[in-house]
Amino acid sequence: MSHDHDHHHEPVEGSWRDGEDDRPLSVARRRFLAGLGIAVAGTAAPAGTAAAHEPDAPRRPVNPWGSRDRWYGGDHHIHTKYSPDGQYEVAQQVAKAREHGLDWVVITDHGGVAHQKFSVDLVAPDIEKARAEHRGTLVYQGLEWNIPGAEHATVFLPPGRSAVDILRAFEAAYDGGVLSAPVDRSGKGLIARATSADGEPYALAALRYLEAQVLSGRTEIALMFANHPARRGVDSPHEIRGWRDAAPGVAVGMEGAPGHQAAGLKSGRAGARGFYEASPNQDSFPGYAPTAAENPYRTYGGFDWMTAKVGGLWDSLLAEGRPWWVTATSDSHQNHLDTHTPGTGDHNSTGTRGAPVDTGKPQVYGDYWPGVYSSTLVGAGSRSYVDVMRGLRAGKVLAVHGRLVDGVDVRVRSDLDGRGVTTGGRTFVTRGRDVEVTIEVRLARRPNFGGEIPRLAKVDLIGGPVTGPVADRDTLSAPHTEVLKTFEVARTARGAIRFTHTFRNVENAFYLRLRGSDGNRLTSDGGPVMDVVGDADPWTDLWFYANPIFIDVV
Amino acid sequence: MSRWLHAVPETDPGHRAAHTDALLLAALAPLAVESAFTHVDRTTVVSRLALTALVTGEAPTTVLGGRVVEAAGPPPDGRCIRFPGQDSLTGVHTAEAIVTGSAIDEVVGVGTAVSPDDLVDTQGFLRPTLTNGRLVLLVEPAAGGVLRPIESRDPHECCGGH
Ligand SMILES: [Zn+2]
Ligand SMILES: [Zn+2]
Repeated sequence: MSHDHDHHHEPVEGSWRDGEDDRPLSVARRRFLAGLGIAVAGTAAPAGTAAAHEPDAPRRPVNPWGSRDRWYGGDHHIHTKYSPDGQYEVAQQVAKAREHGLDWVVITDHGGVAHQKFSVDLVAPDIEKARAEHRGTLVYQGLEWNIPGAEHATVFLPPGRSAVDILRAFEAAYDGGVLSAPVDRSGKGLIARATSADGEPYALAALRYLEAQVLSGRTEIALMFANHPARRGVDSPHEIRGWRDAAPGVAVGMEGAPGHQAAGLKSGRAGARGFYEASPNQDSFPGYAPTAAENPYRTYGGFDWMTAKVGGLWDSLLAEGRPWWVTATSDSHQNHLDTHTPGTGDHNSTGTRGAPVDTGKPQVYGDYWPGVYSSTLVGAGSRSYVDVMRGLRAGKVLAVHGRLVDGVDVRVRSDLDGRGVTTGGRTFVTRGRDVEVTIEVRLARRPNFGGEIPRLAKVDLIGGPVTGPVADRDTLSAPHTEVLKTFEVARTARGAIRFTHTFRNVENAFYLRLRGSDGNRLTSDGGPVMDVVGDADPWTDLWFYANPIFIDVV
Repeated sequence: MSRWLHAVPETDPGHRAAHTDALLLAALAPLAVESAFTHVDRTTVVSRLALTALVTGEAPTTVLGGRVVEAAGPPPDGRCIRFPGQDSLTGVHTAEAIVTGSAIDEVVGVGTAVSPDDLVDTQGFLRPTLTNGRLVLLVEPAAGGVLRPIESRDPHECCGGH
């Protein structure tokens, strides 16, 4: 294996050093974190999370560099025959995930009246069996929760005596489908629609309930990721901020890239990539409006608009200093060119569609098997249920399409932190001193499931100032966040490549994140292109996104 | 004599685009409807789809359970579900033909410039929006080098769009 080392040492062009703005940003940020600290006080301050320090506590870097973490690939969004629109056995999904190299999977069938009544209990023994048959693959039981007032979300727990009970109780009390279904259809009839705004308080209560299960020790950890967040425009910025604030140890991120990545294939389903083909409805946030400049309801390079737009919604959260992570999943319901069709069971009355039917004929569908296209790589100390979840909670997470990279190790160091921190972490620098970033990318060595060894063409270092909590909770832009530096990857590069970048004379708190591309489809400023409905080949438009690192100034 | 009527239906017309529009327009029959717009009424916690239409004929007292009132004109950010010339725009038309042959004032591309000769595959479903008093049809690149309206007749909804 040969190693090409590209070294770049350049001073910062950081435009956030705004001479006009002399506010003590780090103070604002610490005040913000102190606020979070109150919320997490007593959560046994989960080691490795980006949870807050007390303002006067000794400064301890978060996600220190050099732990013996490894990357574990997984998928937190997978359906089975226990979803009304799914079809596979748990065993099929797990076997395929394993075949495609995943280390961990979460089974997330849709919440709702029938699922709560039947499926939660039906799926549990299937999951137990899959765990026994595939030792070495972590199979979590989860739920695709209809967030009251909003989109869907993955909710999951590690195996444990109370895991199924917690999921069942959670769904009964807080699923948007259950809450909105009329009483005469076994629902609660408490909210108008699963996505209507009268559901918003239930979403916050739901997340607090999960956090309480962690605090009381009924479960070691519980996590929530918002799924396909911009698809219908129903996850407003204030809702996302509200979830995170309500349960900072549980609500930790969102799909940066939705599943259904085969849906835009011209030779296939010829829909929109990710099935992102909607337009605003009455529950959509009015700030997400399609205009001549952009359409929030489409994917960009396969990623959700909230994540793909530099200076967009995700950056607006990060610019507050708010930890919020992105992932990539399959949302596998029916997999492109697979020969199965749904079973004939009545999901409504039994909670299952029954065993799928093998027609022997390849079917045109919009999804890929878990692991075929989308991976969420998690840095974890061991292949254990709790460690992988801790890695997710800590933001040691890469969202990767088509195996564009095998790993990306980011290290950020300063005068106060010679060891440095990694993805999802936070470190400190003395005002006026330098911050050094080292990026080591492990390039793909094997062909992906599209049949080619993907070639990384460039890595963008993106960043912006951390300016503390916003006054308007519906803020959806971070105007000072930008691409700071683009590292081209030599065509001949193989193995691991290294880039470094030094921010000199750092005056204000900031954050960094990375994205990389195969360079096939770029806008004039190097960003992802809006995917074309009916003609989006995901294999020729590959990206990865790495989660942020925060740097405080003291 | 035609006039503008406004109502906030009590019946939830659902999310499926073409179905919603058809339901609302059917509720106005047998009035002659020249133009009809929807917009989201956010005066209550649970937002509702409101209907505003330019009609001729005897006004009903309710539409889908919502009380009918007179209105001064269309809502400023209305989404147009009925407009003059709509019936002739069912296939592939040039941007120019859309503007000259209907009430649509402008065809605007998302992230792309539109020239008069560019083809728009309407797929028989158009929902232009009112923007600064002009009826604007937003279009996007589509397969085969044509443009298509950004609104689909029946967008894929996971799980029936819970
Ligand atoms: Zn799903
Ligand atoms: Zn589904």
